[in-house]
Amino acid sequence: MAYVVRSDSLTKRYGDVLAVSDLSFTIEAGTITGFLGPNGAGKSTTLRMLLGLAKPTSGHSTVFGSPYDQLATPALRIGAVLEATDFHPGRSGRDHLRTLSWAVGIPDARVDEVLSLVELQGAAKRRVKGYSLGMRQRLGLAAALLGNPDLLVLDEPANGLDPEGVRWLRDFLRDFASGGRTVLISSHVLAEIAQTVDQVLIINHGRLVTESTLDELTARVGGVVRVQSPQLDTLAEALQREGIVTSRSNDHALLAQGTTKERVGDVALAAGVAIHELVTEGSSLEEVFLDLTSEEAPK
Amino acid sequence: MNQLRAELLKIRSTRTTIGLLLGLIALALLFTVLTCTLTPSPQLLTEQDQSSLLSFGSIAGVFAALAGVMLFTSEYRFGTIRPTSLFNPNRTRLFATKVTAGVLSGLVFGVIGEGLVFSIGMIIFKIRGVSIVMSGANMTELIVGAIVGTALWGAIGVALGSVVPNQVGAVISLLAWGFVVENLVFGFLPKVGRFLPVHSSDSMMGPIQDKLLPGVAGTLVTVAWALVLAIIGVAMLKRRDVS
Repeated sequence: MAYVVRSDSLTKRYGDVLAVSDLSFTIEAGTITGFLGPNGAGKSTTLRMLLGLAKPTSGHSTVFGSPYDQLATPALRIGAVLEATDFHPGRSGRDHLRTLSWAVGIPDARVDEVLSLVELQGAAKRRVKGYSLGMRQRLGLAAALLGNPDLLVLDEPANGLDPEGVRWLRDFLRDFASGGRTVLISSHVLAEIAQTVDQVLIINHGRLVTESTLDELTARVGGVVRVQSPQLDTLAEALQREGIVTSRSNDHALLAQGTTKERVGDVALAAGVAIHELVTEGSSLEEVFLDLTSEEAPK
Repeated sequence: MNQLRAELLKIRSTRTTIGLLLGLIALALLFTVLTCTLTPSPQLLTEQDQSSLLSFGSIAGVFAALAGVMLFTSEYRFGTIRPTSLFNPNRTRLFATKVTAGVLSGLVFGVIGEGLVFSIGMIIFKIRGVSIVMSGANMTELIVGAIVGTALWGAIGVALGSVVPNQVGAVISLLAWGFVVENLVFGFLPKVGRFLPVHSSDSMMGPIQDKLLPGVAGTLVTVAWALVLAIIGVAMLKRRDVS
């Protein structure tokens, strides 16, 4: 299978510090992958190695089958935002984008298009030092989108965003990936991206801890699926017949233990029960995440 | 060519370059008006007297070098080195493009600096009735040498910015070298000092000062300085991770 991203035993050592250790994973086209780990886990270093900014101590990685710096004009296939602050404060947003787009021959019409896409057209000619953090985040995203890429790599994009900004980002990424394009998004807070991603790569102390879909992760460690329905009793009985343990929350929702949204949905359909709400509880996922990443660093 | 356009836009799209240009213009005007007006006529009799005063336009080299330094150090200071590297992953080509942009902006600084000093100086000499003893060839050497020397300082600045990516460190290194170290070395050991870059580029303007290298040798030595710094600069750029 042709993978969009492939990491083979990537290792990065800074002096005595092993930032990334023997990290191998693959990412398929059309997925949104959450790259998770606590601060200092090696996420940013890994992304920099994937994007040719940092040289691995050993191992190697490919994007669309080649190392990033050996692709012909990679900015036309891969868009990336690594920091929210990568702008000259005295340059206008539009000129910032043009310093990048001109380098790879992207026309100014596309610059205006991406400014409009991230809703910054009104501020395009203002200098970046007058932008809010949310506007800077969106300008970074606009830069990543200049080449109309098939892969978007975002390092902690929700950092510092207000809830409205997080929601905007979530909707944007869903829309981006709906056309078969691929997203790799890092975060140190699982809840921040749990509603966005299809699968997760969790690393801790530079090592891969888990690679799975979000629902597999939930099911594996006894996650909770929350359901609202006008026929909760019927659904509870149907779930129990399938061996799924249920309970009620304080607001009378049904909580299905150790299963996935898909399984609950299938059971409800078979039982002819209408579903009004079906979500994986974020809090339990966060516990799973903390549990997986709470190990001490290897000596 | 696309990359060069983008680098030139970086130079044009902030106020730093305008500030440097205004600084150059103010300094060139002030110095030329004061010295050409106040220098007593008996000190303006020889070709060297006149060319020495009119060579002040080469101060544009300092401004061109500062503009060149900014081309790399601003990228590191403000983090734009990350998107720049993502859009320009071939670091050797990125370096070559920035050096070319540094040379081109240096040419502009050189034309403005030497153009102002030479033209205003000549006007003041004429008003004062100073007899011009410089030959046409000397004038050409002076003007072309100042402009080309300034362009080379643009390249030296870019290379220095790659070797010392910390902006404050690079600017202090440049000014301390140009205004202190070289003058001390040239003052005490002129046979060594004339091979250092400020004095070798000065010699490109002809015999404006005693003890300098001949013009062609000065040009070759200045180009060699730019090349050596560029080789170190590109090697460090390729070796250094973008964090």
